[in-house]
Amino acid sequence: MPVLKHLLAVWLFLFATAGATAQEQPRVVAVNHPLQYFAERLLGDDADVVFPVPAGVDPSFWRPAIADISMIQSADLILLNGAGFATWVDRVSLPRSKLVNTTAAIEDQFIVTESITHSHGDGGEHSHEGLASYTWLDPALAIAQAEAVAVAITARDLASAEDVDARLAALRRDLEALDAETAGALAGVANIAIITTHPRYEYLARRYGLSVTALEWEAGATPDEAGLAALRAIIEDKGAQVLIWEAQPSAAAFDMTGALGLRNVVFPPLAHGVDGSSYIEAFADAVSALAGAGSE
Amino acid sequence: MNALYLAFAYLRYHWARSLVLTLVAALILLVPIATQILLSTSERALVARGDATPLLLGSRGSQLDLTMSALYFSDERPEPVAMREVEAIWDSGLAVPIPLHSAFSTAGHRIVGTTLDYFDFRDLTVSDGRGLSILGDAVIGAEVAQTLGKGVGDTLVSSPENLFDLDGVYPLEMPIVGVLAPTNSPDDGAVFVDIKTAWVIQGIGHGHEDVVTAAEVAAGSASVSNAAVVQYQRITDDNIDSFHFHGSQDDFPTTAVVVVPNDARASTILKGRYLDGENPSQLIAPAGVIQGLVDRIFRIKSLLDVVTTIIAVAALAAIGLAVFLSYRLRAREIATAVKLGARRGMVLRLLSAETITLLSLSAAIAAIGAAIVSQNAESWVGWLLALGA
Amino acid sequence: MISVENLSFRYSATSFRLHVPAFTLGDHERVAIVGPSGSGKTTLLNLIAGILTPEAGRIDVAGTDVASLSDVQRRRFRASTIGFVFQDFALLDYLSARQNILYPYRITPALTLNAEARDRAEALAAACGIGDKLDRHPTALSQGEQQRVAICRALVTQPKLILSDEATGNLDPESKARILDLLFEQASEAGAAVLAVTHDHELLPRFERVLDFAQFRQGADA
Repeated sequence: MPVLKHLLAVWLFLFATAGATAQEQPRVVAVNHPLQYFAERLLGDDADVVFPVPAGVDPSFWRPAIADISMIQSADLILLNGAGFATWVDRVSLPRSKLVNTTAAIEDQFIVTESITHSHGDGGEHSHEGLASYTWLDPALAIAQAEAVAVAITARDLASAEDVDARLAALRRDLEALDAETAGALAGVANIAIITTHPRYEYLARRYGLSVTALEWEAGATPDEAGLAALRAIIEDKGAQVLIWEAQPSAAAFDMTGALGLRNVVFPPLAHGVDGSSYIEAFADAVSALAGAGSE
Repeated sequence: MNALYLAFAYLRYHWARSLVLTLVAALILLVPIATQILLSTSERALVARGDATPLLLGSRGSQLDLTMSALYFSDERPEPVAMREVEAIWDSGLAVPIPLHSAFSTAGHRIVGTTLDYFDFRDLTVSDGRGLSILGDAVIGAEVAQTLGKGVGDTLVSSPENLFDLDGVYPLEMPIVGVLAPTNSPDDGAVFVDIKTAWVIQGIGHGHEDVVTAAEVAAGSASVSNAAVVQYQRITDDNIDSFHFHGSQDDFPTTAVVVVPNDARASTILKGRYLDGENPSQLIAPAGVIQGLVDRIFRIKSLLDVVTTIIAVAALAAIGLAVFLSYRLRAREIATAVKLGARRGMVLRLLSAETITLLSLSAAIAAIGAAIVSQNAESWVGWLLALGA
Repeated sequence: MISVENLSFRYSATSFRLHVPAFTLGDHERVAIVGPSGSGKTTLLNLIAGILTPEAGRIDVAGTDVASLSDVQRRRFRASTIGFVFQDFALLDYLSARQNILYPYRITPALTLNAEARDRAEALAAACGIGDKLDRHPTALSQGEQQRVAICRALVTQPKLILSDEATGNLDPESKARILDLLFEQASEAGAAVLAVTHDHELLPRFERVLDFAQFRQGADA
């Protein structure tokens, strides 16, 4: 009897695996959480959406392993953010026919940052023009990206055009509501000088008329003396009152900056998702935290 | 039987003469057959490659150069086209464009920078190792692996070129990460890299401060496959993140673009877009270009046939003379045979047995030769085409 | 064995004429033919062998009227009845000694090459002292050895008549006698008659009878 049981178990296992293989879903890979979220909303159960960057790794600087690359290469659709986000795609071979740059249509709205100058072995100095990459912190741009994702899904027949249209309409409504809500909430913050620990809020600032000065601190790290000195200089220069952190730092860090008269706000840049909340929810939460700090 | 016995004994005793006669006769038989086999195989291979490549986009100029460089990775260097053209075709939604950047070579084999779509399009599969994954990876054709004796884990260094006259561009060392299964096509003789890697070789993309210097080579801490290369760059785990590209990718060059239209209608629309003589780019159907080439080859072939015929006649005359002279030399034997009571026609029997034996041997050799040629025709033609390229 | 009566022959293109009123050769008899060059000695041999046909007269060899045979019949007759030994040996370079001996079997359907013939060839070669040289080609044999091979070839078909045309002419004096003795020995063993053209007068005592051709030539001139 036990033998028979085992055989049955093996048979069931094989059957189950075979079934799973047979019904393998199309796979869509996204290079950041917002694109993953848009794709999931637009595809429903029609495809698996994968965001391959592990938690704790900045998706901007992720370097995929060979296994990750072959998983991505075999995807049916690869959603890129463009605007210089995730430069690893320049150093990895990807099937061009599967790639979609979701900001191709909105390049005229990119924010150009100052040039970075450097030199090579003996090639002399040259400079790169930098682009602000976190486009999805402007819900209007996010809508354009979601639309690009919808077009890509429909073009590749990953879901029925009807379904995608309906889902896009719902997503657009949600993003427009987020935009309106954010505009209302941040209206009172417009004339307050804000400092960010990292330059990632350019599109947010432009959309809602925020005045933002950026530091170059590690996400969630406790600032060192030099960092604090730079902070003090900006406070003096701009009269800043609010400090935006990318991630929750130590209590000591909050105390240090609080002692300088700054109100601390954590506003995740959402390249990664926030546990327990969707992109829209996390965005709304962060906005209300910022609005709260601004109105104190 | 007796006539054959004597004929064979005679031929064996005069083995050198028999060998020469047999070989000459075998050659006369074999040459036209082998030419025919090789030519028709070439035609098939050429036409098949042409037919398998629906459209080609490139700079306006020689259509043959464009076709040869894109289909056979020849040494022709058509003016490059900008990637903007590739994007334009993507944007049209009418076709899949596959760029081919074939300006560089390594150890006599062309480096072809392309996208992964090319491997799907040509149905190329990796027989050992993996496909292209990371900037700098190289996947080599079966014949490259064979001739260079290299495989997964070895490296290749691009040959230094002054093509673009860029200062400070060092050859690139590339790890071989995969070997392709043989296809008897020019793909067997190519080294495939991501087109981004080709741009790194060209100096459009680069990393920082990582050139292997002559001193390191001398000290044995770096190995070089090409002795002429004393300095080259290498993409490593430590420096890969520093690799970047300058300018807009739209301006980056590619030698040619294979264009795979979605359907006949898309093909017609696309062709229409490039009809304008003012357009710096041209869109051509390589099958037509190849057919023109094949027609030309066959015109040459008919000339060759005439030459072969003349040579064959001359050689047959020479063989006839040789045989006639040897019969004269054997007059004494014939006289003896008559005196000994040889049957009527014995002489004729003896001589024809000899001739038949010779010709049968020649025919057998020619048949074996023809069988060998036809068996290897595909790979030889592949090699010949690569050679001509 | 041979009986010739009133034989006349002429080469049409020349003034050469041969007339033999009568000539006989008994069974097992050994007769030498001597005479000046051009007197028709070889011609007589060719007429007897049926290689040439006479203008007139009768040639009877072993009971066969040679002149009355057809070409095919004469060839068969020659192959089966007559053994030839030539001055230049007439061996074939491309065949081994053994195959030279067996050569008559390979050129006519009148003879069948069987085990007996092969055994006979071996035995003859052994008797002639070349039993260990059968696999050599003629170029690897001395003149004397070559002529022994030729004698074996003449005898292997068990002919009733051996025609020898200056068989010893190319040999050194010592070999001449030995070869001739060998020929006689083998011929008598086989029961064959020998008719030999020769210039070697010192050999004549070994023959039973000598036929001087000068007489026929005179007759022809007359």
